Amino acid sequence: MQQHPASARSKLTITIGALAFGAMTALWGTAQAAPATGSLTVAFGAESTTLDPVRISAGVDHYFVGQIFEMLVRRNASLQDENWLAESWKLETGKDGKPVLDVRLRKGVKFHNGDPLTAEDMEFSWQRQRDPKGSFFSHYVSSVERFEIVDAHRFKLHFKEPDAQFLVGNLQLWAMPKKYIQKVGEEEFARKPVGTGPWKFVSRTVKDELKLEAFDDYWNKNKRPGVKTLTIKVIPEDLTRVAAFKTGKVDWIDNVPPSMIEEFRKMPGVKTATLVSGNNLFLNFNTQMPKSPFNDVRVRQAAAHAIDVDAIIKRVLFGQGERYAQVGKGSNGYDPALKPYAYDPKRARELLKQAGYPNGFDTPCYNLTTPREPGVKEVGEAMYAYLSSVGIRCQVRNLEYGAWISLGKRGRSGPPEMDGVLSWMWSQGLPGDPGLAWSGHLHSYQPGGWGTYSYTNDAEVDALIEKQRQTMDPAARTELLKQIARLKHERVLGGLPTYRPLVTFAWREDKVHYVPWPIRDYWRAFQEVSLKQAQ
Amino acid sequence: MSIAKRLLHGLVSILGASVIIFLISRLSGDPLALLLPADAPPDVIEQTRQHLGLDQPLVAQYLKFLGHALTGDFGNSYRWQEPALGLILDRLPATVELALAALAFSIAMAVPFGVLSAVHRGSWFDRFAKVFAMVGQAMPNFWVGLLLILFFAVQLNWLPAFGRESWSSLVLPAIALGWYPVAAQTRIVRSAMLDVLDSDYIRMGRAMGLPERVLVWKYALRNAAIPLVTILGVYFAAMLGGAFVVEVIFAWPGVGRTVVEAVFARDFPVVQAGVMLTSVLFVLSNLLVDLSYSLIDPRIRHG
Repeated sequence: MQQHPASARSKLTITIGALAFGAMTALWGTAQAAPATGSLTVAFGAESTTLDPVRISAGVDHYFVGQIFEMLVRRNASLQDENWLAESWKLETGKDGKPVLDVRLRKGVKFHNGDPLTAEDMEFSWQRQRDPKGSFFSHYVSSVERFEIVDAHRFKLHFKEPDAQFLVGNLQLWAMPKKYIQKVGEEEFARKPVGTGPWKFVSRTVKDELKLEAFDDYWNKNKRPGVKTLTIKVIPEDLTRVAAFKTGKVDWIDNVPPSMIEEFRKMPGVKTATLVSGNNLFLNFNTQMPKSPFNDVRVRQAAAHAIDVDAIIKRVLFGQGERYAQVGKGSNGYDPALKPYAYDPKRARELLKQAGYPNGFDTPCYNLTTPREPGVKEVGEAMYAYLSSVGIRCQVRNLEYGAWISLGKRGRSGPPEMDGVLSWMWSQGLPGDPGLAWSGHLHSYQPGGWGTYSYTNDAEVDALIEKQRQTMDPAARTELLKQIARLKHERVLGGLPTYRPLVTFAWREDKVHYVPWPIRDYWRAFQEVSLKQAQ
Repeated sequence: MSIAKRLLHGLVSILGASVIIFLISRLSGDPLALLLPADAPPDVIEQTRQHLGLDQPLVAQYLKFLGHALTGDFGNSYRWQEPALGLILDRLPATVELALAALAFSIAMAVPFGVLSAVHRGSWFDRFAKVFAMVGQAMPNFWVGLLLILFFAVQLNWLPAFGRESWSSLVLPAIALGWYPVAAQTRIVRSAMLDVLDSDYIRMGRAMGLPERVLVWKYALRNAAIPLVTILGVYFAAMLGGAFVVEVIFAWPGVGRTVVEAVFARDFPVVQAGVMLTSVLFVLSNLLVDLSYSLIDPRIRHG
């Protein structure tokens, strides 16, 4: 089965693109042939809580785990999916009519302890990941019924039901070393992780730093880091992180504060890269309480017209946000025809009047205060002020992260606790796939993993979301996603999307060569990095 | 009060703290919502709840915690998957170092300020000391910290902006944390000195022709120091508590930051280990202060 059917024209474009990319790769490869030298110190605002790939939870965990571990497929710097630990893979239909994924592993891949990567390691990784006692991600591989080892570098995954999410999630499996984990045990593995990635673990001091070293035997000689040691410092305070950069203690920083980006862009010898974050911020409306005004689609549309998101991006976020309608640009299911609701307070008041609220109404509005992304608290307050100005009078209730996420996760019995509007965020990756997010936010709540955070109940949309999950043909699935996006937009279901935050990195251009790479969901991989002068 | 009785009181306080922190942390929310990925299905949530022992009744959880805590086992951190006590103990020296340095800074400022202000009451120095101390009290320590970084690290490049690598890393955080109590401590020393300087034995010493320097710094200060020493234990505890903000500003790898982040993450074992250990430190520091009276004033003896 062909993965990405393309027209002749797009094939040509892809070929030219591939040639250009190949040429760049070859040039880069030449630069990278030399052994890694020198050291680089970088600063992050947050740190991962674990380095065990099956126990990661926070977004920041990905940044760190992705330096050490790899998956079968990944996105490259040009945002194209590239076979990574998988040399090739194809989707077949088994004798029983169920899907089978036939994967050929790349030969010559080694773990940091020197063990070669084989199909046995992948089987072990699958088993480790599917065990809910130790893994937080058993549901990601629950559709795989059986793992068949064909030979040392080939295996087949037998599905009990079609699972499109498996394909768009980089074939889900992280490569973990069977022999090493069996020898040292789970706890030691989490303390001293061993993967196949470009960086091998050296040491970690919680709340202080993570030290990594370039892996000499890394299989991808063209994409090997040119720096020998990488120290990731954890500096949570924005201004201190900036001071660390300005005083030369670090040569690369994550998350330049939005108010200082212009200053950084003007700094001599400093280069910045601004990228769209995988996160997106939206407002969730409870449409499940019998008397909730938000049950009426006109009230939800009124809310959509009431907020001047562009002004908020400009004034509150210093321009560091990208407006979007449903699915972000570059993501699966992106539809350029869908435009965000225009700011039109007059229309908002009219819609409220038509819905039977000529004088508006009071509602609780829950706001996240923990700075998960820059300015979320202030953005929430601004949005609620806009809602109030047309008559959706917000009684703002600020919540820290723990209380916020508990409130957002609806009860499994009885009505949800959230009884008004809730500012919310969900990562869709970059370029993302909304399938997983919609399963949790848009599909109505059902035991078994659907609608964990949903305040919506729309049978037509539910059926479409279930169908896209079962559709493993990429083109057909994309059409389904577009269809869902349109309905979601028109009916303002599963939350009102507003913007995706922009993240800015800065590094010393005269000293560091760095190309941002997306690892799984985030742009923090140090895959293409080297020093311009020997340290 | 005897030392044994004080120790007993301390133990009761620590036990009380353990009950309070155990209950309050569990009232504040479910750690699983934060620990697991957003789309985790119910069976994963239940398995994890059982694995962490959070499916047990509260009383059973508390007794288990207390039993293990007595043997030094506070359980594994939910997030870090490492022993909670180890996480705290590894970071405790950094916080104690910072708190002691901050306390040393505050005393080094407050004692001369207090003494000289008392001796030269109403002089320009008295007024300067008052303003200096008030500025420290008026500005929140995170603000002081940021100003210190901007001036001494970014502009002058004299001292590091973050981390804990050498003695020089300690200077700015210690000032940021220790400036605040200077005002109160100066006032205590000043008023105690005024009382003492007015007492008969100082007048007697003066009449005997003892130099003023000896009178002030040797005889008067020793008596005037008792009120300050009395509250040093409290100040030390305040420094430990206040260290969190400064630790975040200066990326100081201390226990305050670890515990507060654990509170936000509902990482109960780490919160419990952190609070228990801080309680022990607090009780011990108060005990030490009590004992130190007798060193300063031999007339105070413990039975």
